[in-house]
Amino acid sequence: MDDFTLVGARPQAPLPAQKKVPWYRGKPVAAYLVLGLIVLGCLLWSAFSKTDAGYMDLSACNLAPSRSHLFGTDTMGRDIFAMIWSGGRLSLIIGVCSTLLSTLIAVFFGSLSGCAGERLGGLLTRVNEIFISIPNLLLIVLLQAILGQASVWSLSIVIGLTSWMSIAKVVRTEVRVLRGSEYVQAARCMGGSFLHILRVHLAPNFLPSILFMVIMNVRGAMLAESTLSFLGLGLPLEVVSWGSMLSLSEKALLTGSWWMIVIPGVFLVATLLSLTEIGNAIRRSLGHSQKIL
Amino acid sequence: MKTKRIVWRAAKTAAIFLISVLVLSLLVFVVSRLAPGDPLVAFYGERAEKLKPAERAAAEARLGLDQPILRQYALWLKGALRGEFGISYKYKMDVLEVIRARLPFTLRLGGIGFLLTFFLALGLGVLCARHEDKGLDRALCKIGTVTSCIPEFWMSLMLILIFAVSLRVLPSSGAYDVGKADDLGSRITHLILPLTVVVLGHLWYYAYMVRNKMLEEMRMDYVLLAKSKGLGRKKILYRHCLRNVLPSYLSIMAISVPHVLGGTYIVESVFSYPGLGTLSYESARYKDYNLLMVLCILSGALVIACNLLAQALSERIDPRMRAQEAIDTWEADTDG
Repeated sequence: MDDFTLVGARPQAPLPAQKKVPWYRGKPVAAYLVLGLIVLGCLLWSAFSKTDAGYMDLSACNLAPSRSHLFGTDTMGRDIFAMIWSGGRLSLIIGVCSTLLSTLIAVFFGSLSGCAGERLGGLLTRVNEIFISIPNLLLIVLLQAILGQASVWSLSIVIGLTSWMSIAKVVRTEVRVLRGSEYVQAARCMGGSFLHILRVHLAPNFLPSILFMVIMNVRGAMLAESTLSFLGLGLPLEVVSWGSMLSLSEKALLTGSWWMIVIPGVFLVATLLSLTEIGNAIRRSLGHSQKIL
Repeated sequence: MKTKRIVWRAAKTAAIFLISVLVLSLLVFVVSRLAPGDPLVAFYGERAEKLKPAERAAAEARLGLDQPILRQYALWLKGALRGEFGISYKYKMDVLEVIRARLPFTLRLGGIGFLLTFFLALGLGVLCARHEDKGLDRALCKIGTVTSCIPEFWMSLMLILIFAVSLRVLPSSGAYDVGKADDLGSRITHLILPLTVVVLGHLWYYAYMVRNKMLEEMRMDYVLLAKSKGLGRKKILYRHCLRNVLPSYLSIMAISVPHVLGGTYIVESVFSYPGLGTLSYESARYKDYNLLMVLCILSGALVIACNLLAQALSERIDPRMRAQEAIDTWEADTDG
């Protein structure tokens, strides 16, 4: 074939040198780094530190950040540096646990209402809508009141129970598309049970599209925990978390000790922001170009 | 024929509203009484602990707390239908009186906050859409993402720290200076910080919605047609795109009323602003049942009413659409 050349064909122009896309383009490296540092710090601290974060040194109350107390001490004489790391662990645990719970509920509820017939599916959707329209905090406060004194687990459960609705909605829409596909029908014909189909066929397909919302759910749970603890409805003062550290801030305002308010808040906001950036990056990689908080 | 249909529909809406409120009140009633805690403490304060069993029983009988829950509910409902919601255990006043004293504060904070959010979000959204992916849009979106990650209570604390503690220019709590209840200036300065938090807390979410919806509209075929007819960019944007976005924005904002008003809850308690938010917090904390009931029903009724309003709005705008679908399409655009 090389014997003759096309007459009049221009010699192929060399391809423009392909710009090498750096590996970090479009990836939230800073967010991963910040989140990784915070998570690692919290884990390492609870593994290696021998000092008790709740230890009250009454001779060292309300000290500004200095060499001996890097982040200062609070009005009860606790070292804020130690509290940040050990308290962060609890805040993260609550975020992750309640999200696990809410995702589980959402997956079951969503796929159930997606697989069910017109009538039951419609009813479940209505139920979901009613739950969505109730302001979340009100629901959390009421539930927490029933469960009594809050602990890490009760808070996780309460927040998890109140935040599955929007994921369930997405799961339902996805499942309704998926259930018509041949492989699901084949599995049903061969007698696959609901749980089997959910595990093998449905979940792997809709998990990527809810991943973004799951990460946002962690963010929402951490926000709810800190707000509740701040209001005095969440974790009590002696259980250190970022939220319960901030519940001392009324006193801090009176004495003007800014470090008690600023430092836990900065850590909280940094974590939430990293989660948001990571969630957004996942969303973008799935092909949603539009921006969202 | 037409009037008959309208009447029928209004009746149906009213019936839905009443039934929902009734169910809500029953739920709140049962749940609040199942919760641990002693309502007598709210009524008698510290003395409740020292009451003898007989006195205690008498006190409970007087407040109607010794009956079975459902019977209590029936009694409460009977009173409620006559407009008697009982007295607040804590304030020893008629519940409606207590609420009446606080309501204007929340309405002021939430109402102004809502209006500001409404217009600012629209403006910001359109501005971002106009400068899509240019510096301004990117900067505003970044600011929005960061702001949305700041918990409302912490934002309030930071504002207090900066403007009240360090700079000493704005007051940090209350609704007016002591003894200056009628001074408009004092009221306004007390409103600035809480209002900032309320607006910033909600603004970006809705601004993003408007931005995304506008961008979607700008990629429609009719925009291409308008362009090829030679219409200016501004004209297309405001006369065509914005007009198509506005109706659904209206119904979304109708649903968001309870969220903005309910969002004042945290802000009020940080700024010790004497509104309904602090009141409901107190009533939940001190088991002030009668007060809690009315507050829950008020906010629940607001939620239901706003949902119905939004539904009516979007049906009116586009008869094919139910409100929930309007929200779904918006959220599909924004939530993924």
